[in-house]
Amino acid sequence: MPNARVIRDIKARHGVRASEIARRAYLFVARNETLSPQVRHHAQLQLNTFERYTRPTTVKNRCVESGRGRGIISEFGLSRFQFRLKALAGELPGVNKASW
Amino acid sequence: MAAFITPSRLASLKQLRCSIFQTSYNPQSLRTGAKYLRRRLRGPSMVGYYPESFDIPQIMRQNKWLEMVDEDEEERLMDIVDRKKRGKGTPKKAKTPEESRRLTKRR
Repeated sequence: MPNARVIRDIKARHGVRASEIARRAYLFVARNETLSPQVRHHAQLQLNTFERYTRPTTVKNRCVESGRGRGIISEFGLSRFQFRLKALAGELPGVNKASW
Repeated sequence: MAAFITPSRLASLKQLRCSIFQTSYNPQSLRTGAKYLRRRLRGPSMVGYYPESFDIPQIMRQNKWLEMVDEDEEERLMDIVDRKKRGKGTPKKAKTPEESRRLTKRR
């Protein structure tokens, strides 16, 4: 069972996917200097009406195993401790403990 | 001797170049917002970050016709009933500010 923060993150990811095209269209209008200021302002106001969990910046890569938000090794999607556990158990192909 | 080229002629050269190579002619370098349309969509790859988890209680909830019984959940509910009988249940939520003040401990 994933923890609440992971569930929230999943919600954000689905929200981003659902509203991405509309957001892009409004961004295009709002940042387009060749259009009239009124239209651009209107588009910016529309951008502000989007919900919190539709913005791509609310998405955070959390640990796939434990849900921890910090110390994630992005190549594996694991937090540093889960990475260590899995690497020592030999579950990550190509990863072995350094020794020289 | 270098030939003198007027700015207007240079501008028309640029315009012609744009029409030949199919690029947009933008002499004032205005922001057109094209980068927001050109950029790839990030949503589809974002959704697949967490692997699909196999959640038995959720499957039971979605398929009620299976009439399966979640034993852990039943036991938990039984325990709550038992605890309430012994007067060890969770306290009721305070409805008014006075009630919540009465329930908080004073130091």
